[in-house]
Amino acid sequence: MVVKTNPDARPDGQERARTSSVLRSRLRRRDEATAWLFLAPGLIAFTIFMVVPALGAIVLSFFDWRLFDDPSFVGLKHIAKLFGDANMWKSLGVTVLFVLAGVIPTTLIGFLLAVVASSSLRGTAALRVLFFSPMVASSAITSVLWTNLYRVRGGFINQMLAQFGIEGPNWLTDPGIARPALIVVLIWSALPVVIILYIAAIQKVPEDIYAAAALDGAGKWRQLWSMTWPNVMSTTVVILVLMFITFLGSPLEFALLMTRGGPLGETTTLGLYAFKVAFEQRDMGYASALALWQLVLIGTAFLAGRGIMALGRKLR
Amino acid sequence: MTTSNSYRVFRYTITAICGLVMAFPLFYMVSRSFMTSPEVEAIPPRLLPSGLDWENYQTASEFLTPQVMVNSLVVAAGIVLLQLVLALPAAFALSKIPFRWTGMVMGILVAPMFIPASFTLIPTFVVAFKLGMLNSYTGLIIPIGSTISVGVLLFRQFFVTLPSGLVEAARIDGAGWFRVFWSVTLPLAMPVIATFSVVTFITAWNLYLWPQVIATDPALTVINVALAPIAGGSSYLYTSPAVGLAGATMGMFPALILFIVAQKWLVRGVAAGTGLE
Repeated sequence: MVVKTNPDARPDGQERARTSSVLRSRLRRRDEATAWLFLAPGLIAFTIFMVVPALGAIVLSFFDWRLFDDPSFVGLKHIAKLFGDANMWKSLGVTVLFVLAGVIPTTLIGFLLAVVASSSLRGTAALRVLFFSPMVASSAITSVLWTNLYRVRGGFINQMLAQFGIEGPNWLTDPGIARPALIVVLIWSALPVVIILYIAAIQKVPEDIYAAAALDGAGKWRQLWSMTWPNVMSTTVVILVLMFITFLGSPLEFALLMTRGGPLGETTTLGLYAFKVAFEQRDMGYASALALWQLVLIGTAFLAGRGIMALGRKLR
Repeated sequence: MTTSNSYRVFRYTITAICGLVMAFPLFYMVSRSFMTSPEVEAIPPRLLPSGLDWENYQTASEFLTPQVMVNSLVVAAGIVLLQLVLALPAAFALSKIPFRWTGMVMGILVAPMFIPASFTLIPTFVVAFKLGMLNSYTGLIIPIGSTISVGVLLFRQFFVTLPSGLVEAARIDGAGWFRVFWSVTLPLAMPVIATFSVVTFITAWNLYLWPQVIATDPALTVINVALAPIAGGSSYLYTSPAVGLAGATMGMFPALILFIVAQKWLVRGVAAGTGLE
């Protein structure tokens, strides 16, 4: 075959390249349009029920509005009230307390239970379902159930205490006791997710490192903390974030159901306080300011958390 | 590695004890729901009822009416369906169609996962109220059905793993994007769709806060709202506290059945929903 150098070939090739690039960009534009079309229903719904509420909360913070009247502009009244509101500061304290008392214990207990439940011995897999069981119970069912366990008379816990001649307290209404009692319920209901995530992580840790450790004479307990624990670190980080979000949010539901925020506001978190302002006092303007304040706080907490983690990495 | 017999027994015992402690409250709930009043009050506490006393269930069905059960079912199913319809095409677009804005759109969609739902409750209520959704099925379903973060994340993770040759082959054969989505990727996604549906159904079935604020009409009461008055320690509306437990057991029944049937999926779904899998 004779290769002929055709002087027309180059411009022709360029021409073809140009048309194909025009075609490709037109195709890409069509692809993008299709992508937007596929995204549209989801994004529109998401915008209406996630983005608009966030913006609406900002706007409403500057208005007085009781749901069934017309909003009236009040400027910075609610924002000013916010920082002088003793109830707000008290409930913020309760929120922080629930997070502190909940996140770390749930993560550690969840880790230990996952280690127990992830045993590869025959027959233990069937027991695993017991560890996950609390997740089927809704907040309302969990509350009915634990309120019953905590009952002064006829509640299991006090019945057991009575066996030893101890008169049990009124768990959910005695000041000083209601908070820990509620935290136990929150932890119980948060544990399954933590256990599931840790089991998945533990199963990915290669078996042979344990064999090596055993050869070096490391006991089971030692292996647990120097082999398993460091190997599931990335999961721990995710769980800590997840539990932080859980313990910020869940006390509202459980306290609303079990203690109505009492005794003496001891279980009223910031979320529950805002809930009461919104749905009991119908003060939607101030409630919006409180909701916004929560978003600001959680944003700050996340930025701080990221900063701390980045610092930790640098120090390591 | 050899494991001694005594270690095996020890390990098995520990696992059993921990599991039983975790599940004890639920066992207690079911067991006591069949007890008579004297049995409930007995000291030392009884672990098992003397017989199956269905009277508590009869009393409980006065507030957990068939209507309440139907409402819960409609709302949960509606939420699952809506989330599927909204999240699946979005996830497809974000993984298979060449699209410049994928990163940005994903960022926006996933951001709410870091905000507790209770924080957005009030603003979302205001919007739903303004849209006239108070006391309606649409109000119960649409705002929750629109929270598609987890769904998009989960489905996108799956679509990304599908070989792109599959999509390209269909495209070269002249199939439009919708065709590809509908007849190539959706059939393959069925297991993931099942996982997601089970997890979302249980979550939706267990919703309390949103139905409590958006539907005050007794005709729209769902199970958890019906149970709420009994959950407060002070308000014992019924002669035996076991009535509340009977109601709670009834309310948990559908979720429990799903949980037992689909335990493996559920576990996988939880792990995938956090982006860890």
